[in-house]
Amino acid sequence: MNPRKSFDTLAPSHKNGDMIPLSIRAVTISILVFFGFSSVTRAADDYQPGPDSLTHEGVPRGEMKQFSWKSKIFPGTERQYWVYVPAQYSESKPACLMVFQDGGGYVSRDGGFRVPNVFDNLIHKKEMPVTIGVFINPGVVPAASTNQHSRFNRSFEYDTLSDQYARFLLEEILPEVSKNYRLTSDPEGRAVCGGSSGGICAFTVAWERPDQFRKVISFIGSFVNLRGGHLYPSIVRKTEPKPLKVFLQDGSNDQDIYAGSWFIGNQDLAAALKFAGYDYQFVIGDGGHSGKHGTAILPDALRWLWRDYVAK
Amino acid sequence: MVAVVLSTQAQGPPRVSDLLLPGENWQLVGEGYKFTEGPATDGDGIVYFTDIPNNRIHRIEKDGKVSVFAENTGGANGLMFGGDGLLYACQNGKKRIVAYDKNANEKIIAEDLESNDLVVSHAGDIYVTDPTNKQVWHINTKREKKVVDKGLGFPNGVRLTPDQGLLLVADSRSQYVYSYHIEPDGSLSSKQAFFQLIIPDGKTDSGADGMTFDRKANLYVTTHLGVQVCDQAGRVFTVLPKPQNKWLANVVFGGPEMNYLYLTCSDKIYRRKMNAKGVLSFQPPFLPPQPRL
Repeated sequence: MNPRKSFDTLAPSHKNGDMIPLSIRAVTISILVFFGFSSVTRAADDYQPGPDSLTHEGVPRGEMKQFSWKSKIFPGTERQYWVYVPAQYSESKPACLMVFQDGGGYVSRDGGFRVPNVFDNLIHKKEMPVTIGVFINPGVVPAASTNQHSRFNRSFEYDTLSDQYARFLLEEILPEVSKNYRLTSDPEGRAVCGGSSGGICAFTVAWERPDQFRKVISFIGSFVNLRGGHLYPSIVRKTEPKPLKVFLQDGSNDQDIYAGSWFIGNQDLAAALKFAGYDYQFVIGDGGHSGKHGTAILPDALRWLWRDYVAK
Repeated sequence: MVAVVLSTQAQGPPRVSDLLLPGENWQLVGEGYKFTEGPATDGDGIVYFTDIPNNRIHRIEKDGKVSVFAENTGGANGLMFGGDGLLYACQNGKKRIVAYDKNANEKIIAEDLESNDLVVSHAGDIYVTDPTNKQVWHINTKREKKVVDKGLGFPNGVRLTPDQGLLLVADSRSQYVYSYHIEPDGSLSSKQAFFQLIIPDGKTDSGADGMTFDRKANLYVTTHLGVQVCDQAGRVFTVLPKPQNKWLANVVFGGPEMNYLYLTCSDKIYRRKMNAKGVLSFQPPFLPPQPRL
């Protein structure tokens, strides 16, 4: 099964208020899975990156630079981050912004999510706007000696339902990036993306600061009780709706552990977004707790996420 | 980083049954006390504990019988053994920290400080919680004392990670156990509300009190709900309900193989055999397994 094609079929674009009922979506998926298996032998989670994730001759290449940062909002933490600047960027026009949690997993051109290739290709085809990517690793409080562990802040930073990570972006990282590049202040032009705990973090950033970020991509998001994330579906249902655009992906074989079932958590959040009238998209695969499906559909997710913006 | 997550998940996330043994449950060790606290284990796995209002320190003998180790203990609360073999005690009734030798002779370690619980590191540094003044003390090996943190609602249990790089302080009035990085001079930095506990309905706080570690660096915290066990990333993955519906004050591993979990729960003390072994902070620090994120 061609992941690109299956994604297009499973996840047609739709306008706000015109959402596909989950039950119909589920039926569609089971039919597609059935035909997928009957026509082509395909193992579960056998997703491959498509052409938009590869480099192509004649497509201008953006530039990736690496930085490090010591935080005050997450006291004592140190981390690496990267900034991707597309070849089409010009100081004369503020660029759109997309922030990635677990940044190091997204910056390579020949492994992981291959975001530089995807951005190069989609920006070149004008399927997404000229966008600066900021890829941030989670913080670590370094150990005093080699006989000790550093304090790994990842779950604290990503799984906590508060505005702390959003403030870290707005008060620490983005002012640094803005010293060299002009970023749009239009919240519709600012997106956050992540996988697993980085996925729920993407949602939390936009949820806490819709005045700053309105576009979210979550792959295999941890909407489970690591640090309270299982509460989001009910919070979304009850809270005055926020102007967010949310793309969710999860696999039917995602993990089921003490914190909850990832697949049920994602279905629950998708149902809540539908209930509350959000502009959202939920793509279901058959993978486990893996970035493979997300990697394969990232270009389509970006086209869906930015479709309003490129039309401007 | 996503790849790191996947590889660690392959080892299997923790679960309740990892810690429990089939057929094992809480056994009553002793009863009839006014308020039990401060369970501490010596190098032979012998457990001592305090009965605060009765001003006694008790000792659980190898045959399981409870004897009196010391009397007139000055309201002694938290206890902890040091690498010198002495039993350190928070004598809050006398506003001092003392240490007992094997014959229960006491010597003064520090004076003019309020205290609740304490921990003694392998190097001999002492950290003491002072909930009355909402602060944490550091007493160095020269016995000089200094306030190293202020501002928690009720700093209570205090422990070191198995590698002794971080200090953890339970705040009874909040939802959290706080994590601090220990600087070379013993001062604290990088304070964070790192371990998020469950608060039962009808309460506004966790009631976090005593704490202990197992060798996989899981943190056991006594709370309103029971013993909540957190992984290294700060997330509760196990809850052991209380053996009786009274204040659950403190917890420690003991026994010759360090695999019995002892609970001080108001008038009674209990123990339970676990599929886990405890850590004694006076012994050499060690590097536990790499945390799962």
